[in-house]
Amino acid sequence: MASNNADMVSLLESKFGDKIQIQKDVLGTAAIIANNGIHYDVFKAMIEADEKTGITAITGLDFGANLGVYYHVHTTNQFFTIKAVVPTVDPKIKTIVDIHPGALFHELEVTDLFGIVFQGNEFDGHFVLSENWPDGVYPLRKNVDPTKVKLVPTPEREFNKPAEGREVKIIIGPQHPALLEPEKFSVTVDGETVTKVEPRIGYVHRGIEKTTESRTYLQDTYLVERVCGICNACHSYGFVETVERIFNADVPERAQYLRVISLELNRLHSHLLTLGHACLEIGYETLFQYFWRDREPIMDLVELTTGNRVYGSLMTIGGVRRDLNPEHVPKIKAVLNDFKTEKMPFFRKMYQDEPTLRLRMKDVGTLSREDALKLSVVGPVARGSNVDMDIRKIQPYAAYGEIPFNQIVYTDGDTWARMNVRLDEVEESINIIDYVIDHLPSGPIKIDLPRSVPEGEAIACIEAPRGELFYYVKSNGTDMPDRVKIRTPTFANIPSFLKTAIGESIADVPSNFVSLDPCFSCTDR
Amino acid sequence: MADAKTWARVKSPWVLHFNSGACNGCDIEIVALLTPKYDVERFGIKLEPSPRHADILLVTGAVTNQCAERLKRVYDQMPQPKFVVAIGACACSGGVFAGTYNTLGGVDKVIPVSAYIPGCPPRPEAIIDGCVKLLNAINPPKKKKRKQVNGIKEATKSEVVPVVMEVKQDGKQ
Repeated sequence: MASNNADMVSLLESKFGDKIQIQKDVLGTAAIIANNGIHYDVFKAMIEADEKTGITAITGLDFGANLGVYYHVHTTNQFFTIKAVVPTVDPKIKTIVDIHPGALFHELEVTDLFGIVFQGNEFDGHFVLSENWPDGVYPLRKNVDPTKVKLVPTPEREFNKPAEGREVKIIIGPQHPALLEPEKFSVTVDGETVTKVEPRIGYVHRGIEKTTESRTYLQDTYLVERVCGICNACHSYGFVETVERIFNADVPERAQYLRVISLELNRLHSHLLTLGHACLEIGYETLFQYFWRDREPIMDLVELTTGNRVYGSLMTIGGVRRDLNPEHVPKIKAVLNDFKTEKMPFFRKMYQDEPTLRLRMKDVGTLSREDALKLSVVGPVARGSNVDMDIRKIQPYAAYGEIPFNQIVYTDGDTWARMNVRLDEVEESINIIDYVIDHLPSGPIKIDLPRSVPEGEAIACIEAPRGELFYYVKSNGTDMPDRVKIRTPTFANIPSFLKTAIGESIADVPSNFVSLDPCFSCTDR
Repeated sequence: MADAKTWARVKSPWVLHFNSGACNGCDIEIVALLTPKYDVERFGIKLEPSPRHADILLVTGAVTNQCAERLKRVYDQMPQPKFVVAIGACACSGGVFAGTYNTLGGVDKVIPVSAYIPGCPPRPEAIIDGCVKLLNAINPPKKKKRKQVNGIKEATKSEVVPVVMEVKQDGKQ
């Protein structure tokens, strides 16, 4: 097991020699430059050396004459980037889906947005772009101005045709009472048993990644915050953290602690939202109302600390915008303490013992540890399947390295386990905020950084409420980024639903699906 | 009869929520409206899953290319009379996503809109206020002659509402 840096790098060096170039401390622990074809062997060697190896993201880049394909790979406690290059004309690269099924969605997205064909994983139609988007126009390439693209009439796709024989296709979405957001899932059933699930994402695709390239870094901080209205602080933090890594900036400690408060409040209200939503999906509306009633005081705390209920915009490049008012501390502590002592025991009792919840959640959508690793799932979904993967522990960011907290892991792998991971994390979040308020260091909350960011690239992984959130930023020395890549947790988690839903009853689809805490505005960006 | 119909519509409007490519911020606030703190069901407002039963369409989001056609279809399925409320800066004018390649920049590019509620996202109170304003526009409150009891004017309905709202805000702070 190559669990530390030197092992994995020396293993690759000895195995591949001159075929690859290794740049240490670039884009994670090391960047590995490999040709088309060799990248497959490198990734295979990494998987064989470390069972926890998986794909974090695949980034497409446009260098003009060439297109870059960056495979961001995570191992037990490190991040690596495999850099491959393909020509712009007729770009083709070997797929890695056959050795790691979790890469499927990542590859499809790069194909749709950059036109890079992954040999062995070709597909027809669009994956995130709209159905009426013309074929052969790739919006993220530098020579394309996607705002001037003329849309075409919507073509008929195989996806929309009804099933044959005794199977029936049930279309869920885009407008559906169980989904707050538009996304389509076509579920094929034989009797009541699900045999196939086909997703059609892209209903919320707004083109944020391309738009960041034409706005300044400060404007982008607010733009990426609006990738998602629930885990917004995580998105703005992910972006500013990545930019600060390019700067190599030393952000004041007080700012880092204040950021943790914002991030944990984000996690708190997001988890409560999901825990309630799961009850709604199984028809337990009373408990849903209880969860949402008790979420409101947390929203008030977000408002108290940042000035706004939803979009706090606390993060800025170089620190935070707003200090904690000492007069607010007693109120924050009182609300959190009230939640912990008065509300938590009730919710815990419900999720542990309530027969309705157990019946609808136990042994539903069971994801084994092997599948969880193969599909590169993240966050509570992974931790519910006995994969101890919490970025706050693996690679601490902000002030997490100095804060004691427990990593929650359940072994069952079913819906019930995933929801209980979240319930336990609610309590951990409260403890973290308590600790941070007690140990808040003094000092400035912000350092001034220039508007133009020096040339360079960086990645950042942070633990959003739904799991690992990945940011990649490449700067070209101006005040606008050259490329911003966002890999959101739901994007990584949807493949697990496509697997676990099969063979189960159609009635269990909602409760199984909501246990991923799906967020489509994140997924599509 | 016409009066009775208007009365029924205004006193119990059924709303349909459609997300046309929003970031979830406004959508969560709409759900928050239905939960105990804001509880719009006491005003007769009910979230209805089917467009065929809905009176008011609450649209959030900047309308993506993929959603535009569906939004039109959902609107066409609603029975007359129907009203559209654009919730949030994106639904009103594109908001932060104005100028992005895959959005149309506002609900009114696709369907007619009766009321705009700006904000990113608008507070639940603002959404309630917007809906009440729309309902008042549909059926303007009749001006009653003020009765005088011992020289003190009895407040009309429209005067009572703001007072109640003020008390609520004070109580919160």
